[in-house]
Formats: sequence, structure tokens, C-alpha cells
Amino acid sequence: MEARAVCEILKYVIIHWKKEAAELSRKALLEGELLVSIEESTPKHRADPSHYVTTIAFAGSACGDLVPKQFLKGIQSLLSGFSGKLTWPSEEAHCAQDLAGLASFQIKIEVDEKPPTLMADCLVIKQFLHRTSIVHPKVRFHFGGEVNGILFKETFGVEKEPVVKLLNGIGLLTSQHHYMRPGFLGAQQVCSRIHPVLGHPVLLSIPDEEANMGLLGQLTLTPAAALCPCHKLHPDQTSRISAAFVFLYGPSGLPLIFPNQEHPLTVFKDNSYLFDWKKYHLRAAPNSNISLEDDLVLPDVSYWIESHERSWPQDSDQQILLLFLMVDFQGGFPAQLTEAWGLQSLLLTHLNSILLENQSLVQGAVQTAVDQALEQHHRRVKAQQKLQASIPVAVSSILSVVAGSTRSSFRALCLQTLQAVDTQEFRRRLHEAFQMTLHQRSMCDPKKQQLPEPSSSAEEREEGDESLDEALAGSCCPGEAPRPKRSCQGEGVGRKAQAASWLPLLSLGEAPQRSIGTGPTCSQARGWGGPETRGEDTLWLQEVSNLSEWLRAGPGSRPVP
Amino acid sequence: MAFALMGPEASFFRVLDQHRVSLIQSLKEGPGEAPRKEASSSEVLVSIENIIQDIVTSLARNEAPFLTLDNRSNWENIKFEDSVGLQMIPHCSTKKIKSDSAQSAQRFALILKILSMIYKLVQSNTYATKRDIYYTDIQLFGNQSVVDNIINDISCMLKVPRRYLHILSTSKGLIAGNLSYIEEDGTKVNCTCSTAVAVPSNIQGIRNLATDAKFLLIVEKDATFQRLLDDNFCNKLSPCIIITGKGVPDLNTRLLVKKLWDTFHLPIFTLVDADPHGIEIMCIYKYGSLAMSFEAHNLTVPTIRWLGLLPSDIERLNIPKDTLIPLTKRDQMKLDSILKRPYVTCQPFWKKEMEIMAELKMKAEIQALTFISSDYLSRVYLPNKLQFGGWI
Repeated sequence: MEARAVCEILKYVIIHWKKEAAELSRKALLEGELLVSIEESTPKHRADPSHYVTTIAFAGSACGDLVPKQFLKGIQSLLSGFSGKLTWPSEEAHCAQDLAGLASFQIKIEVDEKPPTLMADCLVIKQFLHRTSIVHPKVRFHFGGEVNGILFKETFGVEKEPVVKLLNGIGLLTSQHHYMRPGFLGAQQVCSRIHPVLGHPVLLSIPDEEANMGLLGQLTLTPAAALCPCHKLHPDQTSRISAAFVFLYGPSGLPLIFPNQEHPLTVFKDNSYLFDWKKYHLRAAPNSNISLEDDLVLPDVSYWIESHERSWPQDSDQQILLLFLMVDFQGGFPAQLTEAWGLQSLLLTHLNSILLENQSLVQGAVQTAVDQALEQHHRRVKAQQKLQASIPVAVSSILSVVAGSTRSSFRALCLQTLQAVDTQEFRRRLHEAFQMTLHQRSMCDPKKQQLPEPSSSAEEREEGDESLDEALAGSCCPGEAPRPKRSCQGEGVGRKAQAASWLPLLSLGEAPQRSIGTGPTCSQARGWGGPETRGEDTLWLQEVSNLSEWLRAGPGSRPVP
Repeated sequence: MAFALMGPEASFFRVLDQHRVSLIQSLKEGPGEAPRKEASSSEVLVSIENIIQDIVTSLARNEAPFLTLDNRSNWENIKFEDSVGLQMIPHCSTKKIKSDSAQSAQRFALILKILSMIYKLVQSNTYATKRDIYYTDIQLFGNQSVVDNIINDISCMLKVPRRYLHILSTSKGLIAGNLSYIEEDGTKVNCTCSTAVAVPSNIQGIRNLATDAKFLLIVEKDATFQRLLDDNFCNKLSPCIIITGKGVPDLNTRLLVKKLWDTFHLPIFTLVDADPHGIEIMCIYKYGSLAMSFEAHNLTVPTIRWLGLLPSDIERLNIPKDTLIPLTKRDQMKLDSILKRPYVTCQPFWKKEMEIMAELKMKAEIQALTFISSDYLSRVYLPNKLQFGGWI
């Protein structure tokens, strides 16, 4: 229950923030900081359930005119049935300190919970914060505290993380580590971002029944699609789409569905509701195996994806199709804070029938966005098929000449070169060698690209490198691909992380700091601009430089040995 | 060789004979023909083995193999020589056909496939047509032009004329008139009959060529060719030979024209439409094409002359305006492109004719002459031109 209450308060805070910010600019991204800290305040001898205090502190550019008592009253009215104690710290405490010039506020929630339940709550809150941080990239979400003697600390949303602006003050973090684990791929990556394609917004018609329930206004859905990871710089790399993740966001860029929540959106159980998979020779099956303990941002709906066409090589890389569905609602009159908050759950209740009513519209919009996102993938699949189909033809042709030759020295030399004892082994070796060259190309070693091409002529043109033109022309992965500043990425709750930059906010509350152990520095905790990132950036810049040179040089200017 | 002579009196051919003498004279004075490469079968086999060996070596080094082909379709790689026509420069730019690129891997594999087939043909001393090769795996090759192109690439890569690759093509050309020969398989062919004979597929293999022809007329279109046959042109202007490549000529038709020139040093004339396409076809016979420039020495006949239909004939003969066709944008572009070609500078009269066409903004088909009289072409136009030297 506490997780739900915390998330509802967070929603309330963000809606307030968003509302205030919208008065200045509807398109500006929300800025600020938000802290959720959970601490055990039970004396050690006391039996469980323990007493926990959750502090929610927030500071933002648009909370200057917030009246604490009214705000608290509003929240209290929303949390009917909540057994915990909700308090607002003393008048002196609020606005006592400015954080980077921003006014800040605190709310305290006191509950009695058993530690395992609280641990589960922590995972839900963490996931909610992570999901929200994805579309509010200029808000820093800090989550930390101590549960059952274990200290944890995590920050979502960091400065300089690459962002794509979507609409109405909503952005999207494009670092791929939010959506997939590092090392998910077999091949080396140069681009560490996703490149979302924003679809066109569709106005959903609201059935009379739903309209009568309070949904009077304009309901729009805007899809955005991206493939993760980006393979634009590796057009010959074998890859297959192995999963599709759907992230559903409501007004104010808030997740419509709570993590782990049983939701009424049964439309998504129909695999073909959103997208005609057959068009790309794919088939989808629902995947209910979504674990909260996963450190990635979790989708609301997940599908396993399989290809109708062919079996893929074992070393083929996997890609995930990410689909963001942004639902927005504009009522006829400006909504009160509590009404705007209530709209979230109202929308969730009725969205299923609305989506059913508007299936063709939704599918059309999604299809357009996904088509664009998959176009590159589709081209790559075709390219890969061409490459794979060419190998047996080349192998059998070479073998035909070698086996048919009456010049024993030629035959012997060929077999010897590939260390084959007979033509059968020679065939196998040929096949393996061709596969190896394709694999090497797919690895796309930047050093390899710099090697001078063997050339007998000063004027030489290569056939088959248009992909490089594409990559550059399409401005794939422009700029840097920084990693977010994040404590202990991939370790989350239960691990002690290194110092974070949110201490000033923590100091607003009581936030007792009791550290257990001093584990080694998490290798993934390097911030943007750290050595690891710099390495990646250098690699990327090198790659761009190589490509630029390659293109600028044109025929005849390629380096020669 | 005894052919029934029903043609005009000997004096009719006076100008033609003079032209022939001047052609032979210029041949003697000229630089002479470049020695032609006569590749033996074993040389072809070794060339293919070398390519295979290079590929295997690349693979052993974990390097993606590639084939290097000359850029056949690039004007920058072409030089023009009046006595030869369009030919490739010795150190031309090349392109790589890479095995590890999606764009070229299929082409790489198909080149190897056809190389292996050529290897077998040469080894077994058998011949196949381009069509035969295409039909060995229709799905793999996709269409005939893919095979045709690759064969030309291989011929260029190995620096060996196509016939030495043991690849033939089904001829589309027709020939008629004062000519006889024996084909490679021993078949005796006499072209004097009223019906045309198909140009043989194996020009290299034909022998015992015999003719008393005073000239060879290349006719662009089959319809005109058939009309001339119907009008008994070959007998009326006997002894002569007429040939058609039915539009853009195939290799065999060009090879046969070349062979007839090499063997008999006959005056050769072209009868094409007075349009940019007709001029292009004439240029292919005379100076060769861009794509086959690597084999120019075996294909071009620079002594060919333009007999008709000349754009200046349109006004001279008062061809009715309503039989003319306006030049399309594409025609204009083609005309501009031909005018920029290197050989136009040494053909001032051709240039003048093309400028007349550009000025008129009209083109005329050979059939336009039928508006004057149904047999005007064979009865008046051609005899007059041939008798009085109306060629350029």
C-alpha cells in the first residue's frame, strides 16, 4: 500500500509541477529534483512490523506558489483508505533551504510494514521513478534510504543525457541502457542511443458511455517507435527483433499503469492490436515474464517476437522494438489539481474500450511510426539475406573450378592455403572463411576501416558501401553518447552505492546515514564524461571522422599502401 | 563465285569503286590495325585459376575477397582514335566487387558462378549461349541482362574476347545478298536467296567467305530490311549485301560486319532513321559502344559511312511535314549527348546534320520516304545516293 501511496503523491506532485510549468510554456521540459527516501525508525528491539518513514522532497522551478497546507489537504483527500500517517514538516522546515535557487518541500509518510513487503514496495517506487524519469529528462529523481539494515541509493535522470523532445513538454531519454542491459549484444556497439521515430498524433473518439463518466474533451494518442540497440552503423550485422516493449504514458507524462499492477487493458493481449507483424514476416506472443527486480525500465506490455522467414545464426544480435504510446487529454475547462490527478485512473479505467473503439486509428498511427523505425532493420535483414545467399554460390563455384582443374599444382595450392586435406574439407573451410569475413565486417572494427585498401589503381571505387553514406546522411547518433550518472547501475536496491550528488536534498529531511560496509566502487557508476564514456565517445568520434573522410575523399582518393 | 548478275551497269558503281580504292589506300597509309589478342584455351583457364587462387588466399588471411573490374561505363576511361573508335584507356579506373557487402556480394557470387561455367566450357571445348547460361539457374540470375553484363565484365576482366570464353549469343541479325560461307559445323550458307539468313552465332567459326558485293548496306530496322528484300533491292543493285541488327546490334551482327570489312574491304553504309536513336546505332557500328569499348578492335568499323536518312534530306526531298515527328525531350538530350562525344569533332558533316536536326526540332523515320512514293527508297533514294556518292 505504501508504494501505491508514494506513487500517487509523486503523481500529484508532478501534475502540479506540470500544471504550473504549462502556464509558462506548454512545450518546455519539466525541470527540478525529487527525492524519495525510506528509513526505518523502529527501535531495534521492537518486533516487526517495523515503523518506516518515507520522505518525499521536491524542488522545482514551478512550485513557488505552492501552499503547503492546501497541498497536503489535497493529497490526504486522494489517499482515502491509506492507513499510514501523512505529515507536513513544520512551517520552518519547508522553504528553509533553497536548492540551487529553487524552493523545496517535504512530505512525510509513516507506515508500519514488514521488511519483505517494504522491499517489494521499494522496487515498485524505484520502477515508477525510473519510468517517469524516461519522459521527464530534466528532472532528477533520487531514490534511497535504508531498509532492513541495507543502504541503497539511486538517481534517475542526469544532466547531458541525450534527449529527444516528443511533445507537450515530454521528452525521451535515448541512452539505450535504460531499455536493455549492457552486453545484451554479441557485437561491439558504436552507437549507444535509440533514435525514436515520432508518429502522428491521432484524435481518439470517446464513446458516449465513457464521455458520460467524465471524459469530456479531446483524447489524443501519439506513438513513438525505436529499435534498441541502434544498428545504423552496422548495416551488415545480423540482427533480429526478439521482443517488443510497449510503454504507455498518460497526461503529464506519467505512467498510466503502476509497476506490477493488474491493468484492465486487455486490448494488448491481442498481439495484432497495435501492429501488423505479418507485414514484416514476424509473429508476436505476449510475454508476461516481466520482473520488477529487473534494473531496466519495465514496459507495460511485452511481446516475444519471432521471424516467420528463417532461422537466424546463433551469433545474430537481438534488437528490441520500443513503442511509446503517449496519451493526452484536454478537457473543455482547466482542471483542478485533484481532477487532473483523478483523470489518470479514470483514463486507465476506460482506455480499453476507447482503444477498442479506435483500433484502426491507433494501428495506423503506430504502423507509420514502426514502419519508419523498422525500415532500416528491414533493409538490413534483406542485406543480410543477400549476403548469406551469396556464400553457397561463391563456395560451390570456387569448388567447381578447384575440383575440376587438371592442374595439380593449382589444386594442391588451393587446398594447402586453406589447410584442407580434400575437397570436402576445402568446401567446409571456404564456407567458414566466408562467414568469418562477414562476421568481421559486422563487428565493424573502426581500425579495420582505416586500413588502406589494396588497390592496383589510383582511381578505384567500391561497390556496396552505400550504407556508410546512409549512416552519415541520416545523422545516426549525432554527438556524444553519454552514460547517465547513476549510482550502481544494474545493482539497485540492496547495494551500497557511492556518493551521489543529491546529498543537499537529503539533508532537508532527517535522513539518518548509517552505512553498512564500504564495498568497492561500482564499475558502472562512472558518470558522464568518465573514462569509460570518454572511451566510447572517442570511438564514436573516430568512427564519424573515418566515415567523413571516406565520403569526402570520393573515388580515387582512398589511401593506398 | 558465280552469282546471277542482274544489277545495274558497271558504270553505276564507279563512285563506289573509287570510294573503295580510297578506303584501301587509307588503310595502307594508316597506323595499321593493332595486333589482336588471341587467347588460347589454356591461358583462359590459367586466368580463371589465378582469380580463384587470389580469393582463396584472401580467405585464408581472413580478408574478404573482392574482384576488381574496369569501369566500362565511364567516359573518363574511354579514348577515341579515329582508326579504331572508342576504346578503353590502358590504366582505367576500376571498381571493387566485394564479397562482404550487401550491395555487391550477389554480383561477386554470380561472377564466380559464371567463371566456373566458363572454366568448364573452355576445358571441355564446348560452347554455350548466354541464354543457355541464364537457363541453368533462372532464379539465381534473375534476368538475362544480368548474365549478359557479367559475361562482358568477365571478358573485360580477363582481357579476352567473348568467343574465347566459349560463350556465344543467339543472333538476332539478318543478312541477305551476294555472300556465301561455310559455318563451323560445315553447313554451306548462300545468302542470295530472296529470304534473309540469320547471322551465325559463331562468327569466329565461319570460313570460306565469298562475295562479289560492291557494298554492304547496314539497315537499322528489320521492317526496312524486309521492305528492301520485297523490293528485290539486292538483285536490282547487285552485287551487294544488306544486313540488319534489328535496332541496337548484337555482338554477332557487329562481328560479322567487322569480318566482312576485314575480309573484303567493302564500302559499308548505314541506312538509319533521321533521329538521335538512329545516329546512336550507326555510331555503335562505326565507333563502338561504351560498354564494349574494351573489345573495340574486334568490333568497330570506322570506315562506315552515313548514307541516309540524313536530316538535310528532309528539306532537300521536300518530305511532307506531317510525316515528321517532333523531337522529344529525351531525343534532345540524346542528340546533345552525341554532339559532345569525342568522335563528332572528326565528323564535321555529321555534326552539321545533327545541328540541322536540332534546328528543325523534328525527326524522320526511313518510312517517311514512302510518302513520296511507295518504292521511292529502293528505286530512287538508295540507287541515287550510291551512284553519286551521297554519303558522309
